[in-house]
Amino acid sequence: MAAETPSWAQQAGQVSRLRGRAFEAICLASTSLALVSVMVLLLFVANDAFRPFEAEPALTFAIPVLPGLELFVVPVVLPAYLLVFGATLGLPVALTALYYYRRDDPAGEVAYATLGLPIVSLLVSAGVLVMFIEVLTVSELFATELALLVAVGAIYGHARLRPRKAVERLAIIIVAPVVALAGLPPAMFNDIVNGIAGLAGVGPVLTTRLFSVRELVLASPFLPVRWVMLLATVTLPVVAIFAPILARRRESREAGLALGGLSMIVAALGLVAAPALGVGSDVWIVVASVTVPPLAVYVEGVVRRREGMAGLAFPLVLIGGALAGWLLVQQVGFGMPDPWLDWGFLTNAHSRFSAEKTGIYPPLVGSVMMLFAIVILIFPVGVGAAIYLEEYAPSQGLAGKFVTLIEINIGNLAGVPSVVYGLLGLALFIRFLSMPVGAIIVGALAVGLLILPIVIISAQEAIRAVPDSHREASYGMGATRWQTIRDVVLPQAFPGILTGTILALGRAIGETAPLLMIGMPAIVRRAPDGFFATGSAMPRQIFRWSKEFDPLYRHGVLAAGVVTLLVVLLIMNGTAIILRNKFQREETA
Amino acid sequence: MSTETADEITSRPSERATVERMYRYVFFACASVSIAVTLGIVGLLGWNAVEFFTLPEVNPVGFFTGTEFLLSRDQFGVLPLLTGTLLVTIISAMIALPIGTAAAVYLSEYASDRARSVLKPALEILAGIPTVVYGIFALVYVTPFLRTFGFPLNTFNVLSASVMVGIMIIPMVSSLSEDAMSAVPDSLRQAAYGMGATKFEVSTGVVIPAAISGIFSSYILALSRAIGETMIVAVAMGSRSRMFDFANPLQNLWEGNQPMTAAMVQINSADNVSGPGFLSMFAIGMTLFVVTFLMNLASNRIAARYREEYE
Repeated sequence: MAAETPSWAQQAGQVSRLRGRAFEAICLASTSLALVSVMVLLLFVANDAFRPFEAEPALTFAIPVLPGLELFVVPVVLPAYLLVFGATLGLPVALTALYYYRRDDPAGEVAYATLGLPIVSLLVSAGVLVMFIEVLTVSELFATELALLVAVGAIYGHARLRPRKAVERLAIIIVAPVVALAGLPPAMFNDIVNGIAGLAGVGPVLTTRLFSVRELVLASPFLPVRWVMLLATVTLPVVAIFAPILARRRESREAGLALGGLSMIVAALGLVAAPALGVGSDVWIVVASVTVPPLAVYVEGVVRRREGMAGLAFPLVLIGGALAGWLLVQQVGFGMPDPWLDWGFLTNAHSRFSAEKTGIYPPLVGSVMMLFAIVILIFPVGVGAAIYLEEYAPSQGLAGKFVTLIEINIGNLAGVPSVVYGLLGLALFIRFLSMPVGAIIVGALAVGLLILPIVIISAQEAIRAVPDSHREASYGMGATRWQTIRDVVLPQAFPGILTGTILALGRAIGETAPLLMIGMPAIVRRAPDGFFATGSAMPRQIFRWSKEFDPLYRHGVLAAGVVTLLVVLLIMNGTAIILRNKFQREETA
Repeated sequence: MSTETADEITSRPSERATVERMYRYVFFACASVSIAVTLGIVGLLGWNAVEFFTLPEVNPVGFFTGTEFLLSRDQFGVLPLLTGTLLVTIISAMIALPIGTAAAVYLSEYASDRARSVLKPALEILAGIPTVVYGIFALVYVTPFLRTFGFPLNTFNVLSASVMVGIMIIPMVSSLSEDAMSAVPDSLRQAAYGMGATKFEVSTGVVIPAAISGIFSSYILALSRAIGETMIVAVAMGSRSRMFDFANPLQNLWEGNQPMTAAMVQINSADNVSGPGFLSMFAIGMTLFVVTFLMNLASNRIAARYREEYE
């Protein structure tokens, strides 16, 4: 820093308060300006999407902003149904929230989580259902899971029987899933070889192959009935994840078994209860299987710790208030608004004739499938890269230089404009590898490469946060580097990696420019039925709607699309934040 | 588990070592993907760009000096796109740099812990909103709002799009600058207070100069983000490229324009898949990549090189 005498050193005694106050006010105003302006815009778009003030009957009056001045009079329209809901839902919720805030209890967080968990689970189950309807049948999923089980069993069995044969095991880890899922050689390989042979004028070359477990199951005449398969493919895996958590926490196998039994019963109850409620039993089973186990584990934890138990009441207040308000409005006969964003919007395709009938279903499915593909394609690579950079990378010599280059490069790639990734996708996947134009998989690859640096950087941070002493303890007990990573580093870093990945996926779901560059079509009438099928995604569809000049689109359909996208994003980011908070609390505890 | 551990301790090391080496190679391959991505961008974009420049109807000098960009007449002057990009970048910088810096000062020097714990994530949420949504905000809400102040704005115009780009990059400036200011050691602040400085004088006379390298690097990153921003300008600025009109500078703000990124989107939606127009997209994309990549490098360099080192 320069060595001149600072101005304040000479003029002691002439301290002006005004300048400092003004400066602080300007700084505060700047901070709020960005926040408030975006908040107002969000309110406008929500108003356009839901039209909450357009319902009869309504109270209308005018509020003079400046008393005595006739110029600024704000007309207010307050529909009756809003007043009812305000009394039954808004007021109780506000009071409960105030109670949580004032008592500064962990109850607020519990309320947030008990409300958020079912919503997140519902979203996940919606994703699962969409995959069912559009891509896989239940029996295909059943066969796939059975095949995976066989593969895992083979690997586990080998580890049990021949624990020392590490190379053999590596081979089995690679071969077993291929045999179980695709057969040897995979059917596609045979098709390609035979296709080439056919072009060359030779008959089919490869006629025999080892069938995969998946194919055998699908071909077997003894497939169980649909609901048994659903229970086996959806409920069992979820239970298998959550029951051990509960069993470990309570240190009793019975608790885990009880949770498993409870979830199975609730799910199976759908066979009886769902038709009575007018829902499909498939929907019930899927929703119940993904909601009940995590919620049960969370509620059990809250009750056991006896911390913030008041928060458990929050969802009840919410649901009870909404139900009461709805019943009252129905009884009295008040009109409800007609929002743009409704069930029809979520389940219809774009309509050429009427803005009222337009919907976002195919792009919604496309977005879900893209997220799915991105997770499968990018997550392992990103975490692998982070593991190399944090655990293996040499810091000296030529290799060390190369690692430094990789690190700098990752930082720079995070700043490359998204449209350039789109060009890369166009040039590499479509023009060079001639993959289908506008396919879901191409979009997933382009956007996936875009978020890869973000995934790597956040995974690196999570891995770096694992204390070195744990690694050294593991080495001291004779573990190799990979064993240390697998059994010590990754389990501890996993929540952090997960948080970072979800945030990166939030970025991915809103990316538009790469999708435009790889030629995703503007309008898709049917949801894509596979990863190589042409599909659209939510932001792509929204961009298309922004080209319509009709006010029904400008202030209706467009707003509904934007709100749908933002809600999905909000839920994803909220999940990430809950995970991060939970992780940090366990860290400090 | 216990028997397995015993087995692993007594097993011959050679086989284990083979597997260990294999894992190392697999992870190394994962890490190398990022290099492959960069090489892929440079190689494929560069190759297609060279193909564009060697076309008979394209004149490389004309590409960089031409003042007209019209696909229908095979006019590929990149200057109007460049001035469009510059215009957006300058206006958004005029909004984002002062506001972002002031927000950073507030967060780092004035805000209470509780206020910071609310404001900082809130600002980060702004950075998470998809840019196509910002574009729609500009088109549907900001333009009519600005018209009520008497600005003679077209439906598609530079001003509201640039304002939105500015708001979008504020979090980038504020959060990186705040990191730099928070890294200034407290002893420096205490020393200034000890000499009788007020809080204002500490903030502007001590903290900002000490954190200046971090602040500048955040500026460069934010500018590079504004240059590369695609969806806001594609939605809200229309699709006609215009050379900057020096005779009537304000008029440029009221009318639509087309920066490099939006031009690429528009070319792509046109249907000729191998014509000179299509290939010109790669030349523009390459230019964009080189500019933003150099700016990111410069930002890292400045942050690393001119950082005031404190223990």
